[in-house]
Amino acid sequence: MNNDESQLDIASGKTRMEVAYGSGDGDDDAKAVVARKASLGVLFEQVYRPWNGDLGPRWVRNYAIFRHHVYGIFSSKGHRYYNPFVRLSILVIFLSSLTPIAMIFLSSTIPGEASEWLTRMWGINRYNLWGQVLGYYPRNLCMWPLLTALVVGGMISDDRKNGTSAIYFSRPVTRTDYTVMKFLSASTVLGFVIVFSYMLYYSTSIVFRGEGWAFLIDTLPMFLGGLFAGILLVFTYTSIGMALSSISQSRFFAAIAFLSIIFGTKLMAFLVEIVFETSILYMLSPYDSLAHIGQWLVGIPPNYDHSIAFSIVSILLYNAASIGLLVSRVSTLEVTRE
Amino acid sequence: MKLSVDVVIETRSLCKMYGPHLALDNADLSLPRGAIGILGPNGAGKSTLFKCLLGLIKTTSGEGTVLGYDIRTEGDMIRSRIGYMPEYDSLDPSLNAIDQVRYAGELLGMNPGQAMQRAHEVLEYVGLRDQRYRKIESFSTGMKQATKLACAIVHDPEILICDEPTNGLDQRARDFMLQTLKRTVNEGGGTVLMSGHVMDDIQEVCDRIVMMHKGKVVVQRDIEDLASQIDREVEAVIWGGASRMEKALIDGGLRVRRLGRVMRVTIETEDTISRILEIAAEINVQVRELREYEPDLEDIFLLIMNKLGANIKGTSDLMTEAHTGGESVE
Repeated sequence: MNNDESQLDIASGKTRMEVAYGSGDGDDDAKAVVARKASLGVLFEQVYRPWNGDLGPRWVRNYAIFRHHVYGIFSSKGHRYYNPFVRLSILVIFLSSLTPIAMIFLSSTIPGEASEWLTRMWGINRYNLWGQVLGYYPRNLCMWPLLTALVVGGMISDDRKNGTSAIYFSRPVTRTDYTVMKFLSASTVLGFVIVFSYMLYYSTSIVFRGEGWAFLIDTLPMFLGGLFAGILLVFTYTSIGMALSSISQSRFFAAIAFLSIIFGTKLMAFLVEIVFETSILYMLSPYDSLAHIGQWLVGIPPNYDHSIAFSIVSILLYNAASIGLLVSRVSTLEVTRE
Repeated sequence: MKLSVDVVIETRSLCKMYGPHLALDNADLSLPRGAIGILGPNGAGKSTLFKCLLGLIKTTSGEGTVLGYDIRTEGDMIRSRIGYMPEYDSLDPSLNAIDQVRYAGELLGMNPGQAMQRAHEVLEYVGLRDQRYRKIESFSTGMKQATKLACAIVHDPEILICDEPTNGLDQRARDFMLQTLKRTVNEGGGTVLMSGHVMDDIQEVCDRIVMMHKGKVVVQRDIEDLASQIDREVEAVIWGGASRMEKALIDGGLRVRRLGRVMRVTIETEDTISRILEIAAEINVQVRELREYEPDLEDIFLLIMNKLGANIKGTSDLMTEAHTGGESVE
């Protein structure tokens, strides 16, 4: 320390007023109050805190998986991240599936032939119930597969890509629980858009048209047939989508592969039908097999020449193969990579 | 199978076969509470052992308990009370650290409120208090490792299994990780089972080791015990004729391990040191340093592996590209 510094007494954090104002002006004994030199403190103190809480049972763990995946649709904060574009697409698809409700509402508010025309076009009948789930182009043919591709694509492929399967399987989550809850989460989102919109369409139509018990009883079997077709569609699309998601590390691959299966098989069957005038290859198309079964369930004449049995077997095989593939791929997910 | 008082992990004649390949060969373990290092070359069976202890795979034969629970039938109970920190990335990059740790807690059965509170506590403990609301995709390797540790200790487990916890960390992050693991054992009163290839890390944290080779447990003892059983050596730094000196020492009936200019000579009699100096004088080489050598864990490991016939010259032989980031290890 040089002379000036010793005079200033920098090391102790004190200084003398004389230095600032000169000496001999009556402030000889005065001391400036200056900030004291901070003692070396600990900014971060690492303390291990024990936890004595109780862990919940199996359903609590399973519900956590379900919540993580489903709540993410509504709020990505704290839950599985869905791209805003995906969430917007789901909203658009959901709103478009509700358009018949608006038409029914319109028919109930205007009198005369226009109302009758609107009711015939959009009201409850066998064709419209089937169409709400499986028939209308482009909504059901294009939007349901797109919805599935967006929702299901990353369900398992993301875990493969990020290694997050270890987070599940190093905890008391079994592979069965993992698979079932992921399946349930995806099918709940699809079900909300496809099945819930169908139920909403049926119930609001009755309310807006002021239909009575007789109408309800008359149309209920058709409604239940369509409901079963909708549930079958959600199950089948989910199982195919999940299987594709489980075989890759890319959600894009799973999504594109799903769309390719749905549209590729349909296009091939369509071309064969044009050239050879046979509908048999439609049994390879999951969409057409479901549509065929739906027509049978709701009770309308089929668009296909081949027997309904082919379509039923096709859907059973698609589901069995998809679930088999899904289970086998999930069983290979590692906790410790070697 | 009855569990001994202080034994947390016990296995008897544990075997696991993958097809014709024997991954675990009659593994007998009896591990007390504390910090335990699991050592072994690649393919020694460490990961298979972890999977067996977590109750994730069916053993081919043998039996075992972890905290008194049967590894064959009570895997769920074991995994509720164990924290596992995987070697590789196991975090969702799109989540914040706090949400990732909370979700890890929820997957154990914690309710969301408990899990969130505990996530705050453990993230502070692992040094990520100020980064807890950042997305994991923006984290460094050290921060990711710390997040994985937080996920593993969110429920205050009785046993913490860490698969190469210092993998890919720089010196500062490594020191912090090791200090955190030590504190978890000392303050948390838990047991840490730590595998790794860096012997210094194991030695710093653990007081006991389990060595594995070709699926067998070849050693399970306190490090101090092992060190005391190794022959005492004197280390001499030779200048101007190390090869001549080595030959002369061997010809003189001494046991020598040579590492470049450094000769480690086993002290067999009282006059070993004077013999070294005499030999050096006879062949005209300089002995620049002479000191008693304290064997470390790496010496113990290499010695045992050499006795077992494994061709390992150093811990660098145990490293893969994943450990070194593609760089060669000298």
